[in-house]
Amino acid sequence: MAETRRVLITGVSRFWGCQLARRLEEHPSIERIIAIDNNAPPIELHRTDFIRADIRHSLIGKLLTALDIDTVVHAGLIVDPRRASPRMVHETNVIGTMNLIAACSAATSPVRKLVVKSSTAVYGSEPDDPSIWSETMTRRAPPRDTFTRDLDEVEGYVRDFSLRRPEAVTTLLRFANVLGPTHVTPFARLFDLSAVPTVAGFDPRLQFLHENDAISVLEEAVLRDHAGTYNVAGSGVVVLSQAISLMGKFNLQLLPFVGAELTMGLVNRIVPLGFAPHLTRFLQYGRVVDTGAMQGAFDVRLEHSTSATLVEHARLRRVRDIVRAEQSYTYEAELEDFLRSQRGSDVGGRRTATASAAARPVARRRAPRAGNGSRPQREPEMTS
Amino acid sequence: MSERRATSSTKRHSNGNGRGPLSSLESLYRDLPGTAMSATGTLAMRLRDVTGRDVIDLESLQDIVSIGYRVAELRSQHRSGRYNVDEFGFDPEFANTLVPFFKLVYRRYWRVDSVGLEHVPEHGSALLVSNHSGVLPLDGVMIAVAVHEQTDRFVRPLIATWFGSMPMLSWFLRRAGGTLGHPDDTLRLLARDELVLVFPEGVRGTGKPFRERYRLRRFGRGGFVEMALRAGVPIVPISVVGAEEIYPMIADLQPLAKLTGFPYFPITPTWPWLGPLGLVPLPTKWRIRFHEPVRTDEHGAKAADDPSFVMRISDEVRDTIQQGLVTELMNRRSVFRG
Repeated sequence: MAETRRVLITGVSRFWGCQLARRLEEHPSIERIIAIDNNAPPIELHRTDFIRADIRHSLIGKLLTALDIDTVVHAGLIVDPRRASPRMVHETNVIGTMNLIAACSAATSPVRKLVVKSSTAVYGSEPDDPSIWSETMTRRAPPRDTFTRDLDEVEGYVRDFSLRRPEAVTTLLRFANVLGPTHVTPFARLFDLSAVPTVAGFDPRLQFLHENDAISVLEEAVLRDHAGTYNVAGSGVVVLSQAISLMGKFNLQLLPFVGAELTMGLVNRIVPLGFAPHLTRFLQYGRVVDTGAMQGAFDVRLEHSTSATLVEHARLRRVRDIVRAEQSYTYEAELEDFLRSQRGSDVGGRRTATASAAARPVARRRAPRAGNGSRPQREPEMTS
Repeated sequence: MSERRATSSTKRHSNGNGRGPLSSLESLYRDLPGTAMSATGTLAMRLRDVTGRDVIDLESLQDIVSIGYRVAELRSQHRSGRYNVDEFGFDPEFANTLVPFFKLVYRRYWRVDSVGLEHVPEHGSALLVSNHSGVLPLDGVMIAVAVHEQTDRFVRPLIATWFGSMPMLSWFLRRAGGTLGHPDDTLRLLARDELVLVFPEGVRGTGKPFRERYRLRRFGRGGFVEMALRAGVPIVPISVVGAEEIYPMIADLQPLAKLTGFPYFPITPTWPWLGPLGLVPLPTKWRIRFHEPVRTDEHGAKAADDPSFVMRISDEVRDTIQQGLVTELMNRRSVFRG
């Protein structure tokens, strides 16, 4: 079991990728973190090299060999369809993954670990589903919506990789719905409404995962070897009406149980919730996964149960407006950059990333060795 | 309005100063159920002295009062969202609220006699297997009440998968402890030392016409035996007599059933002619017999892979139940009086 040294993270412009990169930066054993995405990360990363590249491009393979990447974390799957058009989602999820995994499984590829962030949505939500899904079970009816079909296909590529490269560690993590202060999910938007539209006559069982716990699990999968598929969700189960009560909102039983998806489509027109058909089905029939395998294998103690995640989320949402007014972190970061550039020190990367899929990493902050003391207070934790 | 007044007066009360009219109103509001209860109790005693028999049944009265209390309690709890359901969606508090009502039905309406309850284990898991009848699965409820009275345990019935797509019923049944009849669900519940109730006849049992009453249908494919063998738990066969007559199903309108998504659309002497009133079941006299458990642990989990063995046990259980039905029916002189 070789150590994880050089990590490549996809989808760093969104929650999963950038939060993971930030966590991994704290581990001195990891020499290098390469982050690729079409867009820049939303938060300040200190020793992550950001490359503006499209994972659909075949140059990814060259990048892997050139940088001798041993671990690839595919955190770039779009599971929140409001963020992009359906075609874009398909392109990123299916074609992107296919290309990335093709690059990883090439004969010359130095990759010996692949961690893929998937979603428990692959199990679907049907009225006659088993009450609790374990990793080995598969849905009986094929998915009807494109998103879940895509996800299925993505998992197929991952399985192919694990068969083709048995010596490599392949970890497939299926995450339940995440809630937290920074990650805006369809459920977070739903719970922001004062009257939450639900399907009349249905009160499904749901599981939530706190965003910190989600990243902890992802981090653990990168640092240690956990081959296999794992469900990840907070412990315990809530029913939807309970979740709404915990959030202090009103349960508006608005959607008819026949044609709920259609009505939700109309609601989405008025309030952009991003509730795709598969999520509306989820709102009607729910889903619970067995997390026993993850709890047994992973050396991570999830800090929030499902209900604690909701309570915590509700607490933070109540003061959201006040906190947002106070928030000026990003501004400070930019100011700092500006001042630094005025001093003429290293600020190479922040805005100079290349637009095309170039295999030339642009250092955002390669502090340790090329360090010139631009931010000395950060140095010890990065080098040691 | 009255609620707000009540809280403000409580506050004042706790401060120790001020005993105005509001405070006395509040205490009246608080003591009313107790006062009413004791008054009715006295009345019941007097009536018994005068007439020489129980005109008002105190036990049932207590049940009625506790239903009110528990519903109020449950509602406040649910408003705050601070309650726990298990992974199957079972809410013990919710089930506890339902218990007094169904106990009343058990004792007063169907006057259920349960025999052989000692065969239900006090702890540890078991698979309860029963005949199924009566259009609506009320026989399951009565078995659950019988077991709850004896052991204080909640039975976890396996319900037909089509219930999952039914509004209201889908969450109601889960909240009350039911779960879909999926093999994985069954094994999980049995591994957690639960009492799982299964009706191998399924909807074929509840939806059979009146003229075929007390004739057991096929016991599925013996899946329940497989589960019991894999989990190594005893099978407790149960015969329920009386449930067949609660809704005498004269005809089954299949086209309408197909339209509404139900497995059958029953026509009874009262339904659908009397509208919602037709849903009131007939007050038959019930008898539930719990038979000697069939042990499965000595065969080992491997036996579950042998279909012929599974079918043999399945038939054995079926025969026990059918035999129990026949014996009970022989002793029953009247459908309504027992």
